[in-house]
Amino acid sequence: MKRLLLLFLLFHISACAPWIQGRGLYQSPTHTFTVNIPQDWMRLKANKHLLMSRDGPFLQYILVQQRPINRPFKHTKKKIQRGMLPQEAAGVILDEMSSDRAVFNLSVIGNSPATVDGHEGFRIVFTYRSSEGLEFKTIYYGLIIGETFYSIRYNAAERHYFQKELETFQQVLASFAITEAKVAGEAG
Amino acid sequence: MRYLFFLLILCSLTAGCCTATVQPIGETFRLEDDEERLWQRSLEEERILDNSGLLYRDHDLEGYLNEVARNLQPPEILSRIPFKVLVIKNPYLNAFAFPNGVVYIHTGILARMDNEAQLATLLAHEMTHCTHRHALRALRNLKSKAFGLAPAHQNQTECEGGVDLSVLLGSTGYMAAVTGYSRYLETEADMVGLKLILKAGYDPREAPRLFEHLIGELNEEGIREPFFFGTHPKLRDRIENYGNFLRTQYHADNSGIKNAEIFLAKVHALILDNAFMDLKAGRFCAAERGAKKYLAIKANDPRAYYLLGEISRQRGKEGDTRRARVYYERAIAIEPSYPDPYKAIGLIYYKEGETTLAKTSFESYLSLDPHTPDKAYIKKYLERCN
Repeated sequence: MKRLLLLFLLFHISACAPWIQGRGLYQSPTHTFTVNIPQDWMRLKANKHLLMSRDGPFLQYILVQQRPINRPFKHTKKKIQRGMLPQEAAGVILDEMSSDRAVFNLSVIGNSPATVDGHEGFRIVFTYRSSEGLEFKTIYYGLIIGETFYSIRYNAAERHYFQKELETFQQVLASFAITEAKVAGEAG
Repeated sequence: MRYLFFLLILCSLTAGCCTATVQPIGETFRLEDDEERLWQRSLEEERILDNSGLLYRDHDLEGYLNEVARNLQPPEILSRIPFKVLVIKNPYLNAFAFPNGVVYIHTGILARMDNEAQLATLLAHEMTHCTHRHALRALRNLKSKAFGLAPAHQNQTECEGGVDLSVLLGSTGYMAAVTGYSRYLETEADMVGLKLILKAGYDPREAPRLFEHLIGELNEEGIREPFFFGTHPKLRDRIENYGNFLRTQYHADNSGIKNAEIFLAKVHALILDNAFMDLKAGRFCAAERGAKKYLAIKANDPRAYYLLGEISRQRGKEGDTRRARVYYERAIAIEPSYPDPYKAIGLIYYKEGETTLAKTSFESYLSLDPHTPDKAYIKKYLERCN
């Protein structure tokens, strides 16, 4: 997914599709979540996912996504399913990452329960190397609300860039709020 | 560069008999200038793969694969091409060779085979790409074509597990691993390979059986024919080609080497490892088949029963939860100190509301593996069970 989004991003850059200043409260096009975009960060316009970056997405980005459950991923045929425990959902995400042949030397540093906007979810921390040989680190939060799987991830080049905006990511995460009808059917 | 490269693919695909001046490697073989550059590029791509973390390392298995490969070629060929066989961690069916003699086989295709004769068929095919200098012929064929050629069609196979490797490989490896050579060259590799295995004493009737296994798997998974057969003649055509060859060149009363027992003894660990990879990829049928194949070789291995339990639990079809419990209980019965089945069965109990059983299972899990990375989850479940 990340590669697809980055390719999409490259296309838009080359076609002069705008990155726009996105400071302040962002509401998803589907009106299902809001999140604060930090000062000096840009977001990709007209994208169904929220992709934002300060220094360029090849150095660091925050990606907020939502996808329906029961849909297979790209590299694993597994699905996030209704009634899954956060640990099981985390397992699917890790299987998706480890089945992606463009992700090398995947190393899981942490995998634990987490709470996002008061909802139960999971937090994974991992490192990997891209096909170009660059080392990246990712913090990935995921949660299932009803029929939707939400994820908020921070991905950055491990050297220098990851630590640089880590606090900013924590602030973005803290600002994330689900606005759709929720609770009923929430996995726990 | 990418454009030139795609032209190389297209011309190699549309070429019929190409570069009659390039002879197979023989006693008078000498690397030509453009061929030397190909070998150098192969070496560079080989280094990338070596450092990718993708290689499946099993010293004993590698030794066996290389011995089988060496026995397929005469000494004068081995002295000119330093053949080396390596295994890539990938559950999809693929194999490819760089022109300098390095052959890569996916764990997926090795796990699918039944015996050494099928392995020899695959190796002989790949080695023929090297001995008959197919990469060089494809490259020269590209150079000899005018740029204005309009391709008849683009046959870039987007096979499962093949395209992804392409992000790692350069142009040489991409052609070898993802797109393949022209149908003419691939057919040559089939036929020359068949002669090699006949000469080595293998049972050539196993050659078409390899493809029959593969067709079965494709149907089972509902996927398109993967690269290994993408630009190649269709599998059915290849089976027919083999059949025609055997009818004319092979006498049915000849016995031939299969070495099924030796082969399975060498690959059994890989079969289970590959089955775990299949599970990660969500290929439940393939994972189940691999786990059961492993159990037929190594009965009473708790890891295989645990894997079967995970397949059932994660697949989630009707009856799977019950099946999963049976497998986990079997794993525990065989090896009570193996922690993973306790967690897995605990998750089933927990989700079904059987808190007492869940608590017992989770506590057993933590006592057997107190430093497990997922301790935080388990502790949370135990709090709720209390």
